[in-house]
Parts: sequence; C-alpha cells; structure tokens
Amino acid sequence: MNKPPKTPSAAADYEMTTVRTFAAPRELVFKAWADPALLAKWWGPGGFSTTMKKWDPRAGGEILLYMNAPNGAVYPMSGKFVEVKEPETVVFESAALDPEGKPIFEVLNSITFADVGGKTKLTLHAKVLRMRPEARQYLNGQKVGWSQSLDRLEALVTAIP
Amino acid sequence: MVVDSLTVTLAALSDPTRRSILERLAGGPATVSDIAGPFRISQQAVSKHIAYLHRARLIEKHRRGRRHFCRLRAAPIKQVADWAELYRAQWEGRLDRLDALLKEIQSKKP
Repeated sequence: MNKPPKTPSAAADYEMTTVRTFAAPRELVFKAWADPALLAKWWGPGGFSTTMKKWDPRAGGEILLYMNAPNGAVYPMSGKFVEVKEPETVVFESAALDPEGKPIFEVLNSITFADVGGKTKLTLHAKVLRMRPEARQYLNGQKVGWSQSLDRLEALVTAIP
Repeated sequence: MVVDSLTVTLAALSDPTRRSILERLAGGPATVSDIAGPFRISQQAVSKHIAYLHRARLIEKHRRGRRHFCRLRAAPIKQVADWAELYRAQWEGRLDRLDALLKEIQSKKP
C-alpha cells in the first residue's frame, strides 16, 4: 500500500507556465487585466458570466468575483494583489472557495507583459501556495504511488463486473 | 465544471479514514466488513465514510449474489492528480477570450 511521504514536498510539484503572444500593444493588454469591466468580459469560463465585486489592482488590493455557470451554479473566487507594475507585471493570489466560503486551494498567479515589436508576449506562471493540508499530503502520496499506476488501475476497476 | 468537482473530491479526501479506505480499495473491490476489518472504529462509522465517498462519486457499489462490494472510481482521483492540466486548460480558454476581446477593441478604433 502506498503511504504518503512523511514530509510533503513543496507545492513546487503543482506549477504551470503558459506563454501567449497577442497582436495588441502592451498598454492595451495590461488594461484588459487592470480594468475590472474589461476583465469581466473574458474571465469566463466560456458560456459563464462574471460578477465582479472587487478587483483592485494595486499591492494589497482585494479580489472577489463570482463565475456564474449557464445552469445557475455560482463559483466564487477571492484573492488579493501582491504586486502590480504598469504595464509589465501583475501578481495576485487567488482562491477557489467551497460553499462555506473557505478556500480549497490557493494559487499565486504571476503575469508578465513584454513588448515584442508592438505585440505583447504574456507569460503566466501559476503555483499552488496552499491546499487544505490533508489534500496536499494526499496528493503528494499519490504522486509517488497512484499516478504511475492510475491508468492501469482505472482499466482494472472498470473491467470488474 | 472543474472547480466544483474538485471541491467535492478534495473534501472527501480530507479525512484520513476515508483516504485509508480508498487505499484499501486500490487493491481491488471489497465488502464493507472487509474494509472495516483493520479499523479501530465501528463498522457503522466505516459505513458512514463509505456513504460519503459514494456521494462524492469516489467509489461505487455493486452486488455479487448477496454480498455488496465497493470499488474505486479512479476518474475523480485522477482529476485531482491532473490539477495542473486542468488549471492550464482554464487559463488557455481565458487567454483565447482575451485575444478575441483585444481584436474586437482594436477593430473599433479608427
């Protein structure tokens, strides 16, 4: 049986980076992040609407928004800005909230905007800061054990009548 | 929706007894009394945890003759393991919409 490791490794295992180049000037791309009315237009997910309560892009500024699913379900997200440097950097923490308003996991999102010949190269780095500790411990245990054999396991359990 | 099912999965995984039950079931299907065996808590308490896991769709129940078996549903657990991919997909969708919005704004400019 796979046991979770005694010391959960850093959340470094839960990171991702994505890069995108937009055919738009850096000031405009930055504005689409800094202006809550513009941000609400693309935040999504697709088909969702966004109710913007707080989006105060300056260090320490608060974030609270609701993502409204087409079926009426509402998914709250809270957070705060860590660093905002116009027009090149936006860093904020975000947390998906459970129905009682408690964070499930918190992520540090770092976005940089680079001017590349009039276009804008956006780099987004996301890193899990905090998870409910039990969840993280489980995930780390799982990383050692479960993930390697999970596909096999899934095939196995679905094959059993 | 990603966040919602992840919430349910993580809540279900937040209890050590429930994690142990899942680890036990990773070895194959088992009856409630098989599962309860190694625990120091009553079979009734174990049944409650199993009901919780069942509601969270982490396990499913089936019958063989008169015996009721529980078995693991791997998909939700895999979903947690795939967090980074899910989060990435969410952001890719978002950046697609941002791209469309930027094009729209610029096309309106003289």
